[in-house]
Amino acid sequence: MAPPGPEGGRAATTAPGKKITARLKRTLPVRGPQAPTLSELMRWYCLNTNTHGCRRIVVSRGRLRRLLWIVLTLSAVGLILWQCAELLMNYYSASVSVTVQFQKLPFPAVTICNINPYKYSAMKEYLYELDKETKKALETFYGFSEGKSKVRRSVDDWNSTGSDFFEQIPLLKVEDFSRTATELHSGQKRKIEGSVFHKDSSIVNSGDSNDIIGFQLCDANNSSECALYTFSSGVNAIQEWYKLHYMNIMAQIPLEIKEKLSYSAEDLLLTCFFDGLSCDKRHFTRFHHPLHGNCYTFNSGESGTILSTSTGGSEYGLQVVLYIDEADYNPFLVTSTGAKIMIHDQNEYPFIEDIGTEIETAAATSIGMHFTQSRKLSKPYSDCTETGADIPVENLYNKSYSLQICLHSCFQKAMVESCGCAQYAQPLPAGAEYCNYKKNPNWMYCYYRLHEKFVKEQLGCQQICKDACSFKEWALTTSIAQWPSVVSEDWMLRVLSWDKGQKLNKKLNKTDLANLMVFYKDLNERYISENPANTLVILLSNFGGQLGLWMSCSVVCVIEIVEVFFIDSLSIVLRHQWQRAKKWWSGRQQGRAARATASDVERQGHENHACVDEDLPTFTTALRLPLPQDSPLPRTPPPNYSTLRLETAFTEQLPDTLELSQH
Amino acid sequence: MNLKKYLVRALHRLQKGPGYTYKELLVWYCDNTNTHGPKRIIKEGPKKKLIWFFLTLLFASLVFWQWGILINTYLSYNVTSSLSIGFKTMKFPAVTICNANPFKYSEVKPLLKELDRLIEAALERILQPTPGNSTENVSLPLDLELWNQIPLVLIDEHDKDNPIILDIFETNQTNCTYRNFSSAAQAVTEWYILQSTSILSKVPLHERIRMGYQAEDMILACLYGAEPCNYKNFTQIYHPDHGNCYIFNWGMDEEALNSSNPGAEFGLKLILDISQQDYIPYLSSAAGARLMLHQQKSFPFLKDQGIYAMAGTETSIGVLVDELERMGYPYSDCTVNGSDVPVKNLYSQYNTSYSIQACLRSCFQNHMVEICGCGHYMFPLPEGVNYCNNEDNPGWAYCYSSLRSSIKQRQICIDSCKETCNDTQYKMTISMADWPSEASEDWIFHILSYERDMSTNVTLDRNGIIKLNIYFQEYNYRTISESAATTIVWLLSSLGGQFGFWMGGSVLCLIEFGEIIIDSLWITVINVISWCKGLKQRRARARYPDAPPTVSELVEAHTNLGFQHEPVGAPALPPEPGTPPPNYDSLRVQPLDTLGPDSDADAE
Repeated sequence: MAPPGPEGGRAATTAPGKKITARLKRTLPVRGPQAPTLSELMRWYCLNTNTHGCRRIVVSRGRLRRLLWIVLTLSAVGLILWQCAELLMNYYSASVSVTVQFQKLPFPAVTICNINPYKYSAMKEYLYELDKETKKALETFYGFSEGKSKVRRSVDDWNSTGSDFFEQIPLLKVEDFSRTATELHSGQKRKIEGSVFHKDSSIVNSGDSNDIIGFQLCDANNSSECALYTFSSGVNAIQEWYKLHYMNIMAQIPLEIKEKLSYSAEDLLLTCFFDGLSCDKRHFTRFHHPLHGNCYTFNSGESGTILSTSTGGSEYGLQVVLYIDEADYNPFLVTSTGAKIMIHDQNEYPFIEDIGTEIETAAATSIGMHFTQSRKLSKPYSDCTETGADIPVENLYNKSYSLQICLHSCFQKAMVESCGCAQYAQPLPAGAEYCNYKKNPNWMYCYYRLHEKFVKEQLGCQQICKDACSFKEWALTTSIAQWPSVVSEDWMLRVLSWDKGQKLNKKLNKTDLANLMVFYKDLNERYISENPANTLVILLSNFGGQLGLWMSCSVVCVIEIVEVFFIDSLSIVLRHQWQRAKKWWSGRQQGRAARATASDVERQGHENHACVDEDLPTFTTALRLPLPQDSPLPRTPPPNYSTLRLETAFTEQLPDTLELSQH
Repeated sequence: MNLKKYLVRALHRLQKGPGYTYKELLVWYCDNTNTHGPKRIIKEGPKKKLIWFFLTLLFASLVFWQWGILINTYLSYNVTSSLSIGFKTMKFPAVTICNANPFKYSEVKPLLKELDRLIEAALERILQPTPGNSTENVSLPLDLELWNQIPLVLIDEHDKDNPIILDIFETNQTNCTYRNFSSAAQAVTEWYILQSTSILSKVPLHERIRMGYQAEDMILACLYGAEPCNYKNFTQIYHPDHGNCYIFNWGMDEEALNSSNPGAEFGLKLILDISQQDYIPYLSSAAGARLMLHQQKSFPFLKDQGIYAMAGTETSIGVLVDELERMGYPYSDCTVNGSDVPVKNLYSQYNTSYSIQACLRSCFQNHMVEICGCGHYMFPLPEGVNYCNNEDNPGWAYCYSSLRSSIKQRQICIDSCKETCNDTQYKMTISMADWPSEASEDWIFHILSYERDMSTNVTLDRNGIIKLNIYFQEYNYRTISESAATTIVWLLSSLGGQFGFWMGGSVLCLIEFGEIIIDSLWITVINVISWCKGLKQRRARARYPDAPPTVSELVEAHTNLGFQHEPVGAPALPPEPGTPPPNYDSLRVQPLDTLGPDSDADAE
């Protein structure tokens, strides 16, 4: 805005250049502050500013009063700064709004699994060895045997066939104090090395239980490094041990065979009824779950359409009767009977082993749903992710992002990296393989170590994974009634057996059946969403309110302050410095005589405002100039007649205007 | 005349604005207004003037833009929600208890005898391994009249395009639609419900109530807090789905009970008997009590919100009252009491309040009456209409099932019903245990049987008895209440904030601006009038050589002392020494002031 300093310009330019600067100065005369000194600038500012308070400082008489006004003004400024800082800090806050919409609701996907993953009868050939050894273990440790003859035979077999399982991971009976273990296989006692982990509880009553059962996992490469897992109850130990071997066996069976080994839709679903209309297995999508075998998802949306409900109530939901073949259960893997169901969104992966609801047999389970949708604001309001694209963990599941997916994927990734193979319960990353003993003899030890780290949050998964910003939730109210009732049991079972088909000749038992009803309690959808509590407009309004309240200030005042306190003061200071430098320079050049003239110039500049620079006075400075005394205006006083004429013109017009206004 | 004088005076006053030309007016306005920008426009040098002019324009447009946003925000009627959780003394919810089975089989047996025989025979045939070549050995002649109305058929779908339809009793049917089921169990149940509905709809209401379960048979023991209660504390209501239902604490006749303590000790404890042996075998296959918690004076819609309690168990229900209080119109589209919903509420005959379920059912029933000519048995009747039955309305079942599955009809009802503004839900935490324990079974059954009929015969068993505990949880309410996010006060303070922030303005500044506009209007009026006058005068004294001075010239002459009429050949002023005379008003102030009283005097 300001042209270059007059001295510099003059030095650099030739004669035409000087002319141009002169003209520039004439046409754009404002340059630099008008007041010659800082105190005058302040005084000018205080008198002319729009903010209240400053003026009172200058105008007030008396030291006390002036002091009072200074304090008041300063405290007002302080208050403004404080309040505006508060406003800024609270800018990223969110307000929550809850809306209820009554409308046709999309029916969620309902995934149903039998608790037992595979038909035990079909699995016999794969699990023969394992079961035999489990029974043997039961007999050795607890003296349990199903039947004398069976045990005898298994003991006989024992000697003939080698046991892979016990060689790799032996079950041990630990004598706590001596820290020696009895190995099931050889019966020999040996000293245990390695650390002891109590798998299911940290508090083990060591006084009573001097035989704790557990198993030892050793690093295959370095056999001195072992971890011993002990359990307070043999039930847990046997199940856990069985599961390890079971997973090992299952990892070697290809998926197609596993699907055949598990239940088909016809096996599981006896009847199906949705929204008052009959449905069948075509409405269900198969999905193979590593731990639960074949699961069936109703309304998975795979056909492209998602069913919806337009009436609440139990008649209009999903009603299915499930066939739970209890006789064909694996006795060691699962110890409870029934089905597991999960209600989830079509895009969500059902983590049925984590958050499934269990269904009892010989009962009608009625599940009333209430739908809630929530939405959080992402950054900078909260730390959540919209799509999961910004999370550095590859989504192994073919579904939309969720925290659970991220954690599982993260663990699987770590597993593949450190153990070289993938864990059975989670999907395979590209190029990896499920762990099994033949290829990765070390995996189990590795897995347990890694899992422990994961649980203790040492893998960093919990830090990387964020929760999703929006989620749908179906709140469930579950209640159970007896089904079929005593009097209807007879015909019901007969008809259902007929439904099941002729190939099944036996009559169904009511403990093989489970009735499930899933329905919307009401069609009120609750939508909880976060909204920004502040927008820029509101923030500015609040600023304006604060500025106005304390000092009647506005942006204009702020600009004024910037102008006066920064630009003008700075240029005044600079000018003083410049003049001083010039003086010092000229004094050095010309000695004492020259210095006198320089001080003359300065004094003159101070007294005669018009003479400070070679600038023309501006509007405001001109106002403050004393009127030149010696040159009276070469003008005549205003002619009196014109005013008179003006007035008469008005009086003459009056009637007209009156008429005008009356019309 | 007085009036005219007064008006003239008033006019004079008005006329005397702060200036006589637009420019003067503007300058005066800029100099004297309280908004911050304009003052700087006239007080600075030309370069700064330009900057300040644009700044002021920018700020003014910013203010208007943001005002638009603020007003828009206000008109969108946003709400903010606040959540409160805690425990307080609250009204205990109304508890409705029904049996899953609507009628005692022993009572309705005579009515359903024919139907039962039919279905038994039909099942017999279905369940034969090869339905084709069965030998007739039904001893009793069957009444096929019921059958002929809605027969059960077997549909062989091996050939998809030509399903073979086998009528079980080989009666002739033409022109029918078939509802197919994937399961025989469902088909039989649906068929039985249709038939029995038709039969029972003919039975008068008091008879139906008699056939249902009586309160003294069903409710064996009752304890509320520390106070005993009995079946007389329950209000009987006839529910079409479940027969006789009993409502505790409905609040219809007496004040609703309050509960001021959390925990099972202070809640409602009930022992019920559902006598499972007396169930109608084909009607309801699930056995248990149906119960529901709801607000006082509202109708219990058990099919929607009800839960089961299993026989032979103790069911504990911890209650959390989940309330949602919403603002009505224009904040959200909800109704306070249902009076503005265009559907006639049929449940008002129970003296209950509006609810969305009531609205939807009334809407359905109204459609049913309109289309099928009779009312469905499950819903209350509008006046002057009868329930559907097979004799009077032979086609009702078809009409009903097509209406029930019609998406369009449902959408109409959904669109015309509105949810209530205050939505209360009872969130239940349900847990179960076996009851009575094996050790206590004997004496409990003995005492309860004795109390019921004063006999030592044990008339109860595990298949019938239910214990219920209903109580408030430690935190018994969660209230989400809405409040307007933008009120008129908020709007005004935001508008003021914006105006103040950019320009330091207030309402008074707006009034000032309006004043200036009025003034400039006056100036226009005066200009127009004097121009007209000038025209007249010019015509009159056309002989004057030069044109008379225009108004602006006159005003300029009036205000600017240095002003001179531009004489055609006037000699140029001598060049001024030093600074040129300042071109403004500070000098002018004195003469104007001296002129002021003069002109005033002249005017008067």
